[in-house]
Amino acid sequence: MTKAARKNRDKKKVSADKLRSKLKLKHLAVKEKLSGAYPHVDRFFKSKNLDPGKIRDHSARVLGAGAMAGMLFLRPPSGMLALPSPKEIIEKFKDEKSIARVRASHRLLVNTLNSVLPKRPRPLTRQEEKFLEQIFANIAGVKTRATLEGEHLNTTYGYIGAEQHLRRYPGDTLLQHGKGEMLKEGIAPGLGAWGYFAYSKKEMTPYLEEVEKWYAVVQTLYLPDWNTRTRYLREWYKYRKVLIVDVDNGRAVVASVADSGPAAWTGKHFGGSPEVMHYLGGSRYKKGRVVLFFVDDPENKIPLGPVDYENVPIAGVIN
Amino acid sequence: MSKLFYDHLISLDKLGVEIKGIVETPEEREELWRVVDEIVHHKVLGCVLDRLPQEYHDEFLTKFHEAPYDEGIIVFIDDKLDVEDSIEEVIKSELAKLANEILQELFDG
Repeated sequence: MTKAARKNRDKKKVSADKLRSKLKLKHLAVKEKLSGAYPHVDRFFKSKNLDPGKIRDHSARVLGAGAMAGMLFLRPPSGMLALPSPKEIIEKFKDEKSIARVRASHRLLVNTLNSVLPKRPRPLTRQEEKFLEQIFANIAGVKTRATLEGEHLNTTYGYIGAEQHLRRYPGDTLLQHGKGEMLKEGIAPGLGAWGYFAYSKKEMTPYLEEVEKWYAVVQTLYLPDWNTRTRYLREWYKYRKVLIVDVDNGRAVVASVADSGPAAWTGKHFGGSPEVMHYLGGSRYKKGRVVLFFVDDPENKIPLGPVDYENVPIAGVIN
Repeated sequence: MSKLFYDHLISLDKLGVEIKGIVETPEEREELWRVVDEIVHHKVLGCVLDRLPQEYHDEFLTKFHEAPYDEGIIVFIDDKLDVEDSIEEVIKSELAKLANEILQELFDG
């Protein structure tokens, strides 16, 4: 490492330390302010054996325990209607005169999604997810699962935000990630949750290049069992294929999970590489409403990248 | 699933970008994300309790404990408030202030 690089690294390190200590001080201050003003809040959480700082984990446990599933079947969330069969809904929109011949499948998918999904994202019910699995298979021709091999994300419907390129190997630079608009987002200063994709440039493969190019970010850090099954889940999620569908324009892309995030307080639930985001919504697309399901592809036959389903015959409905 | 009733009101993007630009490892990043998450959580609780009449505090805390994800809590709070403003607007504005405050303290101080 050169002297300049070392100096730069030390400067960065100091900044990270400063950031940590300032945030922790702030945390302490707001915590003490709350306890001082409302001591009964502390007493309440203590009586429930709950650290208020761990409320997100608590929420995950409550929901994960099946309370949500049971409750949702008894009382559908607002905006959820009784779902017709995928065939019925496809027939309905197929017959509408408004469907232009060009991009008809996209319009069909968008209409279908918007007829069943609430405007504001929320975790979907099992019933809604099952319905969408059929829709994606029938219209986009991709077999997906919201729950695959027993694994399920915190949410499958949410906002996706733009991410930067990831460093694939030591010495990787932004200029090696394409050109033009694909470089606008820059390259992340730190590594993705799974580190480098390869130990050196020499060890990079076309597959790994595709993985970085079409990568997705999901909130593994908030999974209720992340801390107890870390090793297994880390391996399971590494480069896991997902289908991302923008519910406003119907564009779909198969991506691979290569980082963890975004933070819950960013208002987003997923992230996409510059290429993923560009395909989903163009160069100005920074945030969009999407559904994200695992791709059920045990033989690894489905390629990463855009899903062009315009010419996919719709099973049993459109010839 | 992991969701809090006020998640849709938070959008501290700028802070997220700053943190990402400074830390080097995913572990460091996630640690700091959790710290910010806790700051936000305490701030939201304070914000609600400051405005909710004391006699409803226990009911609010019980609802929050039983179903932290339930956006119906917002309706409950709004019903108990005397003011016309929705608690959603109050939380949004307080969190925007918080984000500015943190950014200022971190990068100007």
